Amino acid sequence: MTVQTADVIVIGGGVAGLSTAMQLAMHGASVIVVERERLGNGSTGRAAGLLGQLRGTAEATRMLMDGVEVVKDLEQRADVEIFVQTGSLRIAETEQRAQEIVDLVAMGKDIGFDIDHIDNDEVAEKLPYMRSDDLLDACYCPTDGHLQPAELVSAYIRVGKSHGVRYQPNCPVEGVMIQGGRAIGVKTSNGPIHAPVIVNAAGPWSYLLADLADTVLPTAAVGHVYLTTRPDAAHPVDRLSPAIRDRHFRLYTRPESGGLIVGIYGEETVEYDMAKLPVDFDMSAMKARLDDIHVATLVYNAQQRFPWINERTPMTITTGIMTFTPDGKPFCGKMQDIEGLYHCSGFCGHGIVQSPTIGVIMSDLIRNGKTDYDIAAIEADRYFDVPGFQDRAEIKSRCYKMHAGYYGRVEGKQ
Amino acid sequence: MDASKESNSRLMKILVPTKRVPDTDQRIRLQADSSGIEDDNLPYVVNPFDAIAVEEALRIRESSATEVEVVAIGIGTNEYESELRTSLAMGADRAILVECAEPVDPWNVARILGEIANREKPDLVLMGKQAVDDDANQAGQFVAALLDWPQATFASNIEFVEDGVRVSRETDLGTEVVQVNLPAVITTDLRLNEPRYASLPSILKARKKPIERINFAELGIDLEPRLQVLEMELASTGRHCVRVNDVDELLRRLRDEAKLI
Repeated sequence: MTVQTADVIVIGGGVAGLSTAMQLAMHGASVIVVERERLGNGSTGRAAGLLGQLRGTAEATRMLMDGVEVVKDLEQRADVEIFVQTGSLRIAETEQRAQEIVDLVAMGKDIGFDIDHIDNDEVAEKLPYMRSDDLLDACYCPTDGHLQPAELVSAYIRVGKSHGVRYQPNCPVEGVMIQGGRAIGVKTSNGPIHAPVIVNAAGPWSYLLADLADTVLPTAAVGHVYLTTRPDAAHPVDRLSPAIRDRHFRLYTRPESGGLIVGIYGEETVEYDMAKLPVDFDMSAMKARLDDIHVATLVYNAQQRFPWINERTPMTITTGIMTFTPDGKPFCGKMQDIEGLYHCSGFCGHGIVQSPTIGVIMSDLIRNGKTDYDIAAIEADRYFDVPGFQDRAEIKSRCYKMHAGYYGRVEGKQ
Repeated sequence: MDASKESNSRLMKILVPTKRVPDTDQRIRLQADSSGIEDDNLPYVVNPFDAIAVEEALRIRESSATEVEVVAIGIGTNEYESELRTSLAMGADRAILVECAEPVDPWNVARILGEIANREKPDLVLMGKQAVDDDANQAGQFVAALLDWPQATFASNIEFVEDGVRVSRETDLGTEVVQVNLPAVITTDLRLNEPRYASLPSILKARKKPIERINFAELGIDLEPRLQVLEMELASTGRHCVRVNDVDELLRRLRDEAKLI
């Protein structure tokens, strides 16, 4: 067996890895992507892809806005539609949530972002299929929308391929080779690959990958569920209907093929121990039981906003696994302990929309050791040596707590 | 619902036998000695065809003018309880678990179900046309034969009419419509309906619904195994993909190489 070599090995063929590989190759690096299953078949393949650009900080917002530009360029290069600009709404049914919206609009306007309050009549006009008479406030952002995950994946691969990226699906990583504190390659089921740089973009498996390299990455795997209604003439959902975020009922929605996607960030965490799943685990084959309490909660909450949705509604239930971190931010970059090992994981259900800019950032960091973005919030080593973030059980409990509060917590003034 | 049902004020009872099967969308592995499948961490579900039968029973109950009782049946060990709870959460009124540690083949499944039917005296036994684990497609027919009841298999539509039940059944030649008198055995096909997801209140309610346990020995049946599993083998999964350039090439290859057209 010949030993393959590259400048960079990216572990994980989801959007984080594919975007990083593409950006590196566009700058002349020789890159191999190794993927345990099929490309785009992990969390990426189960994602809804909502793009809400206004985040808690101006820098996080800038990253997402820049990502749209990257995507527009990709659309040209790969000749596909990825970004669907539907606009988005945040709605409030309690005083606290209404205050959140006031703060959000103020922050958005501060940084020149196109966002404003809209009244219930306007909400009803934009979303005739949603109950809106009980809202205390709502804000609308016309430039938001969603990225179509499958199209994004195919564009990353297409452009990556044209710049020489080598993709190796069905190729689980069995070991990370370290020599004198430096990463020198990986052992795979198809033989060893050597490279001075290794990127851990293994999503929910990222903490196991870190284990293989004898280091610790504080991520945890969390189940997620959303429903997609089938097109229904009685409740048409225009393909450009705005996305909705309803924190009170912990829901997000977007149009999909004439139906509606409704997802939930529930209070209860479905825990996954990735080490217990089979080596060839196929996330696309995941299925919810007919009496799954999380599906029932999703349908129940969805019904509060969309009274026409109930357990008899023709729909598809999609379950998958996402990767959470203790503070809801991803881990992007190096850690002190192993030279050449980079992490790019932990996107907390927002990997699709972060991936375009994250690829740029990872490529900057790997090639130049620095980036123009302020990455303090997402640096991979921010928990390095912090007490309590070395022990698996403790990491899990902190990540799960973050997940449980993800839509539940009320945000203070930024 | 039709008028005849209204005049019939007595309770109608539907037995829905369900089988607990591995989720066949997951990758199945064999035990090292090929005697069976490896079931470590393998998720189990209600056989999808049986879930369709449960759904249909619930729909019959919901559209019926008379009272309908839906009873889910399972045969197996304690582990079965979670799948019976699925049927209860969907809306079945009660469940019976026939406790039996031995694996049972379709003939013995039918004998057990026949005995339960003798005790419960249902108007209808509604069950999946087959279970997706062994795809035997025998139990429903055996039950009808043992009870000497009419049977309608592969139902894609079920309609109550004045003097019985009219069933559309999917055959290789198209849809055949048959009518059976009650009591009867009807087995369900894929297109009959789409099973519901249980609602939140229904799941909570199901936790309190009774599951009657009948020890297999109490039924007075000796198992008569007629099938013996000698060995299991995985179907070949090595798919060979070829990219074709145009429709003409596709047609030519389907005709000349694959010999499919």
